[in-house]
Amino acid sequence: MTKAMTFDSINVGDAMPTFTSDPVTRTHIVRYAGASGDFNPLHHDETFVKLFGMPRIISHGMLIMGITGRAVTDWIDDKHLRKFGVRFSGMTEPMDLDDPNSRARATIVVTGKVVEKFEEAGEKRIRCEIQAADALGAVKITGSFVAALP
Amino acid sequence: MADKTKLGMEFPPYAYVVEKGKIAEFAMAVSQKESKGQVKPIYVDSEAAKAAGYGDIIPSPTFETCFALWGSEGLMPMLQALGINLGRLLHGEEEFEYLAPIHPGDTMHGRTRVVDMYDKEKKDKPGKVMEFTVIETEVTNQRGEPVIRARTTLVER
Repeated sequence: MTKAMTFDSINVGDAMPTFTSDPVTRTHIVRYAGASGDFNPLHHDETFVKLFGMPRIISHGMLIMGITGRAVTDWIDDKHLRKFGVRFSGMTEPMDLDDPNSRARATIVVTGKVVEKFEEAGEKRIRCEIQAADALGAVKITGSFVAALP
Repeated sequence: MADKTKLGMEFPPYAYVVEKGKIAEFAMAVSQKESKGQVKPIYVDSEAAKAAGYGDIIPSPTFETCFALWGSEGLMPMLQALGINLGRLLHGEEEFEYLAPIHPGDTMHGRTRVVDMYDKEKKDKPGKVMEFTVIETEVTNQRGEPVIRARTTLVER
C-alpha cells in the first residue's frame, strides 16, 4: 500500500519514485491482448508485421500506458487519480528470449515530477508530468496525471 | 486512409457489466504478473479494497480500454467502419478522466463518437501527411452517473 500522502507534504519539483518494469515479453503482450480485447495482429503475429517490413511484433501502446499507470498508483492512491493522459512517442519491441542484449529495449522505466499544485472542483490537486522510456533511454510515452490529495 | 465523412459519427451504444474476474485479469496483465496474489489487493480482494477505503474492488487506471473493446463491437470492426488502414495505424494519444468509482456488478453504458479528423504534414517528408482520427467515449453507470471519459487519438502514418 502507498503511505498516506497529503497536499501540504508535496511540493512542485518533487519527483515520483522511479519505477522499473520487468522486460516486456511476447507472453506479456499476449496476456494483455486477451485481457484488453485488442487483437490487432501487429501485437502478436510476426507473419503480419513482416508484410510491412517490420522485424518483429510490437507491444500495445496501452500495455506501456498500463505499466505507467501502475507506476503512478504505486505512488498515488487510485481513488485520488482524476486525469491520466499520455502521448505515445515510440514503439516498444519485446525482449527476444534468445538474445539477452534485447532486455534493455523491453524494460520500461517510469519517471515523473510534480509540476503544479492548484485547486479545482473544490479539491486540492497536483499535476505531475510523467515519462516512460526504455532502459536505453528511448522515450515511449510522455504525459501527465492529475490527483486530488487530502 | 481514414474516411473523413465519418467525422461526427456515433458508434452503436454499448452496455458492459464489469466483472471481478476481468478486473483481476486486466490488473495481472498490466502488472506483468502470473497470479492474483501478486497484484495490488484492491484490484482482486473485496475485503482489502474496503479496508483501504474503497466501496469494493476497483479496476486499474486504464481498464476503460477493456470495456471499450469487449463491450463494443470490437476494435477491428470499428477500424473498418472508419476506413483506417491497419498497416499504417498507430495509437497517438490516450486520455482518461475519472468521474466516479467503478465496482464489480456495475453496468457501463458507453457512447463513442468521432470528434475530430485532420491531417498533419510529416516533418521528415514534405508533401506527405499523417492522418489523425480522434474518438471520445462518455461512460455512465447503471444509475446514470458519469464515471469516465476517454479520448483516443489514432494516427495513420
